[in-house]
Amino acid sequence: MTGTPAPVGRPALTRRRALTAALAAGTSVLGAGALSGCGSALAADDSTVRLWDLFSGADGGLLNDMVRKARPDMPGTRIERTVLEWGTPYYTKLAMSSAGGRGPDVAVLHMSRLAGYAPTGLVDPWDLDLLAEYGVRREDFTDAVWSPTQYEGQTYALPLDTHPFIVFFHPEPVKKAGLLTKDGTLDADAFSSPDKFLAAGKELAKASGKQGISFGYVTDTAQGWRLFYGLYKQTGGVFKVPPGGPAEVDVDRMAEVIAFMAKLVDGKVNPKRLDYAAGMASFNNRQTAMILSGEWELGTFRGADKNVGAAPFPTVFGTPAVYADSHSFVLPHHPDPDAAHRRRTHRAVAALLKAGQIWGTAGHIPAYGPVTRTKEYAALLPQAHYKVAADHVVLDPAAWFAGAGSDFQNAMSQVLQQALLDGLAPDRAARAMVRRLNTFLAKPSPA
Amino acid sequence: MSSPHASPRPGALSVRRLFSPGLLFALPFLVLFAVFLLWPLGQGLWMSLTDRALSAHAPSFIGVGNFTEAFQDAEMWKALWHTVLFTLISTVPLVVVALGMALLVHTGLPGQWVWRLAFFAPYLLPVGVVSLLWIWLYQPDLGLYNHLLDKLGLDGVAWLSDESVALWAIALTTLWWTVGFNFLLYLAALQSIPDHLYEAAAIDGAGAWRRLFSITLPSLSRITVVITVLQLLASLKVFDQVYLLTKGGPNNSTRPVVEYIYDVGFTGYRLGYASAISYIFFALVVLASAAQFAVLRRREK
Repeated sequence: MTGTPAPVGRPALTRRRALTAALAAGTSVLGAGALSGCGSALAADDSTVRLWDLFSGADGGLLNDMVRKARPDMPGTRIERTVLEWGTPYYTKLAMSSAGGRGPDVAVLHMSRLAGYAPTGLVDPWDLDLLAEYGVRREDFTDAVWSPTQYEGQTYALPLDTHPFIVFFHPEPVKKAGLLTKDGTLDADAFSSPDKFLAAGKELAKASGKQGISFGYVTDTAQGWRLFYGLYKQTGGVFKVPPGGPAEVDVDRMAEVIAFMAKLVDGKVNPKRLDYAAGMASFNNRQTAMILSGEWELGTFRGADKNVGAAPFPTVFGTPAVYADSHSFVLPHHPDPDAAHRRRTHRAVAALLKAGQIWGTAGHIPAYGPVTRTKEYAALLPQAHYKVAADHVVLDPAAWFAGAGSDFQNAMSQVLQQALLDGLAPDRAARAMVRRLNTFLAKPSPA
Repeated sequence: MSSPHASPRPGALSVRRLFSPGLLFALPFLVLFAVFLLWPLGQGLWMSLTDRALSAHAPSFIGVGNFTEAFQDAEMWKALWHTVLFTLISTVPLVVVALGMALLVHTGLPGQWVWRLAFFAPYLLPVGVVSLLWIWLYQPDLGLYNHLLDKLGLDGVAWLSDESVALWAIALTTLWWTVGFNFLLYLAALQSIPDHLYEAAAIDGAGAWRRLFSITLPSLSRITVVITVLQLLASLKVFDQVYLLTKGGPNNSTRPVVEYIYDVGFTGYRLGYASAISYIFFALVVLASAAQFAVLRRREK
């Protein structure tokens, strides 16, 4: 403070005061403006049900069609979609808005994430009586799909679909390799043990003239885990994750599965170092005859081969199990929900579920039973061929840190990548996975 | 500020003392400083002592539980080490290369403005553009670098998916992106060295190298300190380019501590624990600053 001005008389001081006051007033006007801006964005008129979802691209278009088709079922109600980008940040946004009680009326959530949402109070339970009024009942869903929606005896999620991890194939080379049954479906017997699976890969490579089976996993945050966990559940091994830990798992069986995965991506019969996009490209360009992939890529595959075939993931280790997840509707927590508006929301979601036939065309298996029992759905090929996958779905272990887009899936996939790509021994990889799992379990749950 | 022209009224005097004109001028800033910095700082410290999470339940006070957990958290130490390592391997080239570039330009490369523009231009790009660009350059199959290595008959490098390479690749990207700013500071400092020093040296028969080491570099010592300090602080808070290039992978081998805080807090929902780690990191930065300050003070003397 060099050059402190000599104290000045009153007039100058008032000028300064006036300036300060003007500044302060300006600031407060600005602040108030910004705040009221937020307020108006939150306000919605009564007839609008606000939905947050993560469906862009083809799925997004189909959901728009569903909203249109559902309109007669919900007179006077408008569904306003907000499409957010799929990925970890989606769940951050949903959790933040729900924790503050300022979430949308209804949101789409991967069922595998429910364990992090229901116990933490971020979502409110559905009213089954209300849903029954609008024609949606417990009996309309398979047990495998329904049981994960429950927490402490209440239903916290309404499944829209099941999206399993399955196999797609080009029919011509598969037929040439003699791996198709008479009715044009995949011969599951030819894939029913690790050795048979690898042998079938060789046949496919011969038939395609290049390589057999694509699996894109390098630097991916989930693919390795998706394949591993489905296969591990086929061995019948336990995978228990008690809060606080340690995990109860069968390390030998884990190692067995990892060894099989490593043999599969051998770099000779099947490509070795494919990332997600390269895996899709190699299959679409017919470098390979088959790909291990989520069914949500059906649209892309059909664009490259309109006859593309599909089958549930073959039972390689004895017990039928298919890794899957499920898009479901949840009610983000509101401190004091308006009963009439909640009713409106229930009605809108029931109407959407009933329009599930449209959703089925994307490849997802609609969870609402009456849709998949129709002739229309049976005519959808290859969707009808893998519909049975919904009976044996395996979701992520029910822990707050697991599920779609979680750090856990990423951590597991990273270890698996070391085993598949960098030659980490299967038993050491299995133990590394268990160590990581126990680290997750040791962390206190946010609930 | 004991004023000799004290107002006769004691009441007015105390008001004037309380609200000196300087304070009034600083007030708008102080208000913003308090609302957006001091208050969040305090709030963060409080959060680090609770088990606050992104959930609808009320948080409870758990004392230093988060801190004891953090000190035993191997992942946190790993992430801290990545930040420190990145700071070391990025700061040194960012200072040395900037100096080299500035000297080259200053000693009269033809087409000065082209060089100035070319060296400084990347700094003007947003981090998203830089990262997307370098992801393509680093592509193992189609990228420019592996293509060039291939032309030279060398094996390709898995730039962003090899654990032992990825952090260096990120440092290289950072060098290309931000070296222009340091370059500009050096160039300005070079241009302010008085010409008569060089003339006198030339008359005394000093060669170009002698002039470089005896005049140019000593004259640049002050700006070098400034650049190093700025660069250390910028490198310590690395997050964006890592998040965009590798998301902290492969196998968390490039995850800096700021991303770990983000992961714990915003994807793991444990805000209290994330706050505790950020305070540990804060302590580290304060330590680094204090060390710099001490070194500078000794130099001043």
